Amino acid sequence: MDLWHLLFTLALICANDSLSTSDDLLQWPQISICRSPEMETFSCYWTDGNFYNLTAPRTIQLLYMKSIDEDWKECPDYITSGENSCYFNVSYTSIWVPYCVRLASKNQVFDQKCFSVDEIVLPDPPVHINWTLLNTSQTGIHADIQLTPRVSTMVPLYSLKMGRDYEIRLRSRQQTSEKFGEFSEIVYVSFSQLGSECVHSEEIGFPWFLVVTFGACGLAVTVILIVLSKQPRLKMLIFPPVPVPKIKGIDPDLLKKGKLDEVNSILASHGDYKTKLYNDDLWVEFIELDIEDPDEKNRVSDTDRLLSEDHLKSHNCLGAKDDDSGRASCYEPDIPETDFSASDTCDAISDSDQFKKVTEKEEDLLCLDRKDEEESLASLANTDTQHRHVNTQSENIQLWPPFAESTDSLRPSVHHQISNQNSLTNTDFYAQVSDITPAGRVVLSPGQKSKVGRAQREGCAEQNFTIDNTYFCEADVKKCIAVTSREEDEPHVQEQSCNEDAYFTTESLTTAGVNLGAPTAETPVSEMPVPDYTSIHIVHSPQGLVLNATALPVPDKEFNISSGYVSTDQLNKIMP
Amino acid sequence: MSAKGASLKGLLLVALLVSNMLLTKEGVTSLPICPNGSINCQVSLEELFDRAVKLSHYIHFLSSEMFNEFDERYAQGRGFIAKAVNGCHTSSLTTPEDKEQAQQIHHEDLLNLVLGVLRSWNDPLIHLASEVQRIKEAPETILWKAVEIEEQNKRLLEGMEKIVGRVHSGEIGNEIYSPWEGLPSLQLADEDSRLFAFYNLLHCLRRDSHKIDNYLKLLKCRLIHDNNC
Repeated sequence: MDLWHLLFTLALICANDSLSTSDDLLQWPQISICRSPEMETFSCYWTDGNFYNLTAPRTIQLLYMKSIDEDWKECPDYITSGENSCYFNVSYTSIWVPYCVRLASKNQVFDQKCFSVDEIVLPDPPVHINWTLLNTSQTGIHADIQLTPRVSTMVPLYSLKMGRDYEIRLRSRQQTSEKFGEFSEIVYVSFSQLGSECVHSEEIGFPWFLVVTFGACGLAVTVILIVLSKQPRLKMLIFPPVPVPKIKGIDPDLLKKGKLDEVNSILASHGDYKTKLYNDDLWVEFIELDIEDPDEKNRVSDTDRLLSEDHLKSHNCLGAKDDDSGRASCYEPDIPETDFSASDTCDAISDSDQFKKVTEKEEDLLCLDRKDEEESLASLANTDTQHRHVNTQSENIQLWPPFAESTDSLRPSVHHQISNQNSLTNTDFYAQVSDITPAGRVVLSPGQKSKVGRAQREGCAEQNFTIDNTYFCEADVKKCIAVTSREEDEPHVQEQSCNEDAYFTTESLTTAGVNLGAPTAETPVSEMPVPDYTSIHIVHSPQGLVLNATALPVPDKEFNISSGYVSTDQLNKIMP
Repeated sequence: MSAKGASLKGLLLVALLVSNMLLTKEGVTSLPICPNGSINCQVSLEELFDRAVKLSHYIHFLSSEMFNEFDERYAQGRGFIAKAVNGCHTSSLTTPEDKEQAQQIHHEDLLNLVLGVLRSWNDPLIHLASEVQRIKEAPETILWKAVEIEEQNKRLLEGMEKIVGRVHSGEIGNEIYSPWEGLPSLQLADEDSRLFAFYNLLHCLRRDSHKIDNYLKLLKCRLIHDNNC
C-alpha cells in the first residue's frame, strides 16, 4: 500500500508539473544558437516565446560584449540572418576572443550566452556539387566517383553500382568539432545511361540461398514439433520406434522397478522360455554334451567334470579322448562328440576359462566363510565323490542324468570348499529345473527323491530361518530340505533361523519350499515329479517369500494362475 | 719558446673561432641555405611547412579531444564554463584575431609570434603532463594525450625554428615569450580549484593550438602557394 501511495504521489507531482508548464503563458525568449559558417562572421538566433502577448511588442534586444570591452553593445544587424537573428559581419568578428551575447528587453535579461567564435563553427552546406567518374571496375559492375563541393575539396565515393541512380547529400564540419552543418541539396548521380546493358545482370536471381535456409529451418522446426508432440500416432508414423529386443509381455520398467514376481510370472508364461534363455551359455552346452554320453553311470558327476575342466584343458586340449569333459564346449549340441576340429577345441579352452570365472563367482555367493561348519564334513568329502555344484540355469534339463555318484574317479577338486559344501548331501545341491510348465510350475529332473533322501539331516530343525529380508545360507537351506524331504518329499513349512550374514541365490536353494507363517499341510502332488525345491523370491517384505504355486494350499481358484509365483498380496491372503 | 707556442696556439684558436663564427653565421646545416623565394628552398621549405602544419593540426586535434574529455569527466557539475572567459597566460602576446589581421601582418612577425607561443607553452605542457597524473582516477586517454602533446610541441618548436632560420633574411627579432605562472594553481589542495585550473589550462591550450594551426596554414598558403589555396 505504501508503494502505491508513493507512486500515486509521484504521479500527481508529475502531472502538476506538466500542467504548470503548459499553463504558463509566458515563455521566455531564448537564444537558440550562435554559429559561424566560415570563422569570419557569425550570427545568433533566438526564439520569441509567448512574450508578445503580454507586454509591448518587439522590444527584445540582443546585446553583445567582447571580453575586452566593458559595455554591452547592441546587435549591429538584425536583418541579414532573418527574423529573430543578429548578424555580425567581418568587422565585428574576432576569433579566439570570448564573446557574450544577451537577450534583453529594457532592463530585463532573458538569456545570455558566452562563447568564442572558433567554438561555434558550423559550415554551411555545400552548394554546386559536381561529380566526376574516377574509374570503373573490370567487370563493369562497380564504379568510383568523386564529388567536388568546393574547388579544393574532393569527396570520393567508391563502389557504386552501375545501372543505378543515386541521390547524394553532403554535409561538413570543422575537423576538430563534433557537430556537422546542414545537409546540402540532393545531387543526382545516374549510371543508367552508362550501365544500361548491365541491368539484367543486376537483377537478383532467385534467392536460392534464402529458400534453402528457410526450408531447412522450417523442416527442423517441424521435426522438433513432431518429436515433442504428444500425438503418438503421428510420432510413430514419422519416427517409427526402433524395435528393441523384447520379450513379449514384459515391460522393461518392471525390471527396473524390481518387481521380479511379475516379471517371472510373465517369463514363466512363455512357452519357449526355456529355449530362449541361456542359449549361449557355454558351460551349459558342456553339460548337455555330458548328458549325451551313453555311459552315464560311469561318469563322474557333472560338477566334478566341470570343475576339473579347466585343469584338464590347461594341460591338454587335444588329448581329451579319454575324458569326456571339455569337448562339449567345442561343439554345438548337435555335433557328435567324436567330431571336432582343433579350432573348436581351442575354443573350449576359452569356454573353460569362462566357466571358471562363473564358478568363482558362485564361490563368492556361497557361504565360504562358513568353512568351519564344513570342516566336520570334510571326512565325507574325502570319501564321497567330488561334486561340483552347477548353476541350475540350464534349460535342457531333460538331458541331465540324475545325479549319480561315481566312485571310480576322484577328480582333484579345484574348489575344495565347494566340494565340501557339496558333500553334505552327497550329491549336487541343485537339481536342474527340467521344465517350467505354462502353469508356472517348476519341474525338476526326475529321480531327485532318492537323492534327497540321502541328504543329511543335521541341524535343520535347530536352525530357524528368519523371515525378514535375509539371505539363507546354502548349507542351512540344504539342511532344512534334507529334513523336510525326508519326511514327505514335499514342501514343508519350516521356520528356521540362519545367520544374518549368510546369503543365497535363488538358484542355489535346494529347499523344497519355505513357507512363512504357520506350517500347513500341503497336498502332495504325486503325479508330477517332486520338485526338489522351489525358487524363492526375495521380496522386500517379511512375507515376501514365494513358493511354487502347487505347493501351496489354494483356498480358492484364484491361485491357479499362470504364474509360478505368488505375490505378496496373494501370500497374505493365504496366510492367516 | 713557451711564449711562441702560446701565441701560436692562441692564433690557431682565434682562427678556429672566427671560422666557426662565420660558418655558424651562415647557418651550417646539412641542407642548403635558402633565401626567400629560391625554388630549391621552396621545395624543402614546403616540406618543412607540410610537416609543421601536420604537427600543428595534430596538436590541436589532441588538445581539443583532451579538453572535451576533461569537460565531460570533471567539469559537468561544477559550472566551469562560465569562468572560462578568463585570460590565458599567452594573452599578453598580441596575435592577429581574424583573417584580415593575419593577412596583413608580416610573415616574419607572424612566424615569430608562432615561435613565441610555442615557447611559452613548453613549460606549461611539461607540468601538465606530470600534474595531470595526480588527478584522482584520471582516464588513461587524458594522461596519454598530455604526454603526446608535450612531445609534439617540442618537435613543432624545432621545426618552426628551422623554418624561421630559413625564412628570416637576417636579423632575428626579439624573442617573444610569455612566462607561465600557473603551476601553483595546478597543485592546489582543494580539488575543485585544482580542477578549475586544469580546465582553464586545457581551454587555453585548445585555443592557442587552434591559433597556431591557423597561422601556419595561412603562412603556408601565403609563402608556398602564393595565396592560391
